[in-house]
Amino acid sequence: MKKRIVALLMCTAMVTSMVVGCGSGNSDSSSDASSSDDSAATTEDSGEAKDIADCTFAIVPKSAGNPFNEAEAKGFQEAIEAAGAECIVSYPEQATADAQITVLQSLISQGVDSISVAANDENALQATLQQAMDAGIKVSCFDSKTNADSRQVFVNQADTELIGQTLMDAVYDITGGEGQWAILSATSQAANQNAWIEAMQNVMEGDEKYANLELVDIVYGDDEPQPSTEQTQALLQNYPDLKLICAPTTVGINAAAKVLQDQKSDVKITGLGMPSEMEAYVGEDNVCPYFYLWNPIDLGELAAYTAMALVSGDITGAAGDTFDAGDMENSPYTVVDASDGGTEIILGEPFEFNPDNIAEWADVF
Amino acid sequence: MAGKSGREISIASNKSALSRVLSWEGALVLIFIAVNILGVILSENYTAANVLRQMPRYLAEIFILFPMGYILILADIDISVGSIVCLSATMACFAGNAGLPFPVVILVCLLVGLICGAVNGAILAKFTELPSMIVTLATQIIFRGIAEVSMGSGGTISYTNSADLIPLTTMAGPFPISFFGVVIAAVIFIVVLSKTTFGRKLYAIGSNKTAAYYAGVKVEKIRFIVFSLAGLMSGFCALVLLSVLFSANTTTGQGFEMEVIAMAVFGGIATTGGKGNLVGGFIAAFIIVCLRVALGLINMNTQLILVIIGLMLIIAVLMPGISQRIKTMKKMAKQS
Amino acid sequence: MKQKSVLKQITKSREFSLVIVLIVLCIVATILNPSFISPTNIAQIFRNNALTMVMSVGMLCVLLTGGIDISVASILAFSGMIVGMLLKYKVLENTFLLFVLGCVIGIVCGLLNGLIISKGNVAPIISTMGFMYIWRGLAYVISNNQWASGADVVGYSDFGADGAAGPYIIIAVVFIAGFIVLKWTKAGRKIYAVGSNAEAARVSGINVDAVLIYTYVIMGFLSGLCGALSVSIYASAQPNMQYGLEMDIIASCVIGGVSMSGGRGSVVGTFLGALILALITRALPLVGIDAIAQNMVKGILILAVVVLNVVTQRMMDRANLERREM
Repeated sequence: MKKRIVALLMCTAMVTSMVVGCGSGNSDSSSDASSSDDSAATTEDSGEAKDIADCTFAIVPKSAGNPFNEAEAKGFQEAIEAAGAECIVSYPEQATADAQITVLQSLISQGVDSISVAANDENALQATLQQAMDAGIKVSCFDSKTNADSRQVFVNQADTELIGQTLMDAVYDITGGEGQWAILSATSQAANQNAWIEAMQNVMEGDEKYANLELVDIVYGDDEPQPSTEQTQALLQNYPDLKLICAPTTVGINAAAKVLQDQKSDVKITGLGMPSEMEAYVGEDNVCPYFYLWNPIDLGELAAYTAMALVSGDITGAAGDTFDAGDMENSPYTVVDASDGGTEIILGEPFEFNPDNIAEWADVF
Repeated sequence: MAGKSGREISIASNKSALSRVLSWEGALVLIFIAVNILGVILSENYTAANVLRQMPRYLAEIFILFPMGYILILADIDISVGSIVCLSATMACFAGNAGLPFPVVILVCLLVGLICGAVNGAILAKFTELPSMIVTLATQIIFRGIAEVSMGSGGTISYTNSADLIPLTTMAGPFPISFFGVVIAAVIFIVVLSKTTFGRKLYAIGSNKTAAYYAGVKVEKIRFIVFSLAGLMSGFCALVLLSVLFSANTTTGQGFEMEVIAMAVFGGIATTGGKGNLVGGFIAAFIIVCLRVALGLINMNTQLILVIIGLMLIIAVLMPGISQRIKTMKKMAKQS
Repeated sequence: MKQKSVLKQITKSREFSLVIVLIVLCIVATILNPSFISPTNIAQIFRNNALTMVMSVGMLCVLLTGGIDISVASILAFSGMIVGMLLKYKVLENTFLLFVLGCVIGIVCGLLNGLIISKGNVAPIISTMGFMYIWRGLAYVISNNQWASGADVVGYSDFGADGAAGPYIIIAVVFIAGFIVLKWTKAGRKIYAVGSNAEAARVSGINVDAVLIYTYVIMGFLSGLCGALSVSIYASAQPNMQYGLEMDIIASCVIGGVSMSGGRGSVVGTFLGALILALITRALPLVGIDAIAQNMVKGILILAVVVLNVVTQRMMDRANLERREM
């Protein structure tokens, strides 16, 4: 009986401590929160520009421990800090939407002015990001988009159709226009990769030119070296006449190139990869004649300028808005309609890395 | 005496109210208060409103904590719960998108969880030689696999009629509605464990399965019930998670099993069975949640947060041994 | 007479049913895809699963003591990441020294596990779960969001390259050493003794704590070794590498008939278990199972194999009992 009472007491103690512990902080910071709400409201009401230097910009990449994401974050951070504003780089614990929500919630609590996120899942962030927008935070996506309802604008690395077309042209060129080829992708739910693969398939079906090319298989290496290696080996074994593997993912292309080089195979590889990772495999006689990517540092930088333009009120995310992006190549950029009903800003065209320029770029990212 | 056996096993020595306060649960309450003070010091944004707003995603996990506590007390383990959450959430999305009314969707979600749990339970009751870890490892892969197959190549499914889910996200005052769900579940599970014969049987099986069997406890039946319960509660978890995600994908619920086990162990439940109670686990869960929120607010590297939680876990399980050693040393000093 | 008993012994042993499963798997896979049985394919199976195989010997020792170690994949990542970063920044490029370093890191990690489990009297799953978070987190911290791959590891990756003997030698050495140690040395028999009945072992003069410590040190050593090996085989070091590998390793052991409550299991069984799991993983993409369904089928097969194990065991027990009754 005594035990029960003590246990009860402790439960009460716990609840009170929680209410009191948090409540004490509540009084002063709730006024804090409301004041920031007020300021957000006034900005919207008057439509006046906020001083960028007083604002906090947050970036949430796809995952930690990945140099591509790191390069994006680096570009973002440099641009923000050059403008004199505060930048928060918040990597999620894992490459999942779930982990990103934890991070996003924390940023909402901190009352940041803008969040740029590379979504791990198109739909899963919707509720959280809408909460952020309701709190007056400007929400933009880069690298990998969320659905149209949960963003103000998407900073797209390159037009999806263009990527599909570019990769198909590479496939056509390397195979000589005929023969078997296969795709090694990331995970089966990777939104970017799925969109690019679909674009490639559309290009292939839409033109007689590609009639002699046979896409024999699409396999998924889960963006990890071991499964990517295994899937590549299985491809080689299942299709002895295979001429080319196209891997639109940085981990996959790297792992597949390693397999091909080890096996001294005649099969070629192309796709999307990081120059620093691929340097050892690119060459006229090597497994990879050339491959594509965009500059992740530039992508981060553009995401930063977009976020700043949103916060300063230069753009609202509607199609037709234009804004200056510092000394970036294609500046000024224009917001255009995206195929999913939202809007997007396109960085540029995919960049070709070949034996001539690989050494130079390998030092950059 | 016999009637109290469950409790006796669970807490070795508790003579006075004072010793009870000095027990692990008492320490946990103190740690909980300390973590909250730390949070307030660390960040001005650590407010009740913010903490509670961030809570639903964690609350979902806490639903599984209770049956996991039961399972650990049985000296078993269930590492498939994360996958069950994924499958339940996926099926609920399918049901919702097919136009079924929301109560039916809830039913589907819970039922899928229950069935998955029952599959685990049935296999474990039928093949008692099999360790629960390996069976649930296999079903972990299978359940998530089924979800993957049904979602197809997109790997994600959105709950299109998201207006349905709004009631689940409402706040009652500063508290998210799921908070009360967790509290109700906590009360039920804690009372059943400490006050009913069913609860005592769990402790009996966990302490000595053979002895319990010969004492007439239907070990297989109880194992089946407990694992089914874990499935059912995973269904609840999926439901709350849906109200956060509005969708399901192939990584939904990934890693929940370990996080939940960590909470339970931090709360004083031994994985070797027969020891601990859910009050500790319940407080421990909130300690971990508050700590994560607090460290998140100062934008600490998320990987470092994991390192800190790992260290806390190890220190927590080392504590009883250390205090025991200090006690015996004191005794020896007295004797000499 | 003697011949018959030898035959009986073979058919009665637990490993026999595993061999049958293995053969059935091979036949089915070969029928569906004749290239399955080719030498290159088999060589690749061993190379791709070198990590699981090598570490399953360590896990066998740990399971024999009645413990478990779920921190192994994190130790692997921690040691692998250190090796990778040293290569990337060209601090140390000697393959042999890097392997030694990987092993030493693993030994230290294992020692910590062993000390906390034996001296701190902590349940193994909890201690190793704590370290699972810690080492993985530190691997991320060390990596500083960089990978070591491609040009960074040229030269180092020759050791584990496709066609190089490195991984095969390591597999062979570890299994043979494991077999000898567990079967014929005192240290090995003590592991069995502790696992069968720790109390009895203590009474009979075995230092149980010491046995536990060196068991976890062996596990740590092999994990560290595999960290270095992984970087060499896949020519890449990423902080999330081999995430979740511990479950594959435990599954291979259990498929191989190792009891999770301690005291029962053999190196041969473990080898067969790891091989079965490796064949399943390899066969699925080759026999034309849809990529999305591969995980599900793998899970079902694992479950089927362990259940089959139990069923045959029961049948054998019953047959033995009947014979005795007659």
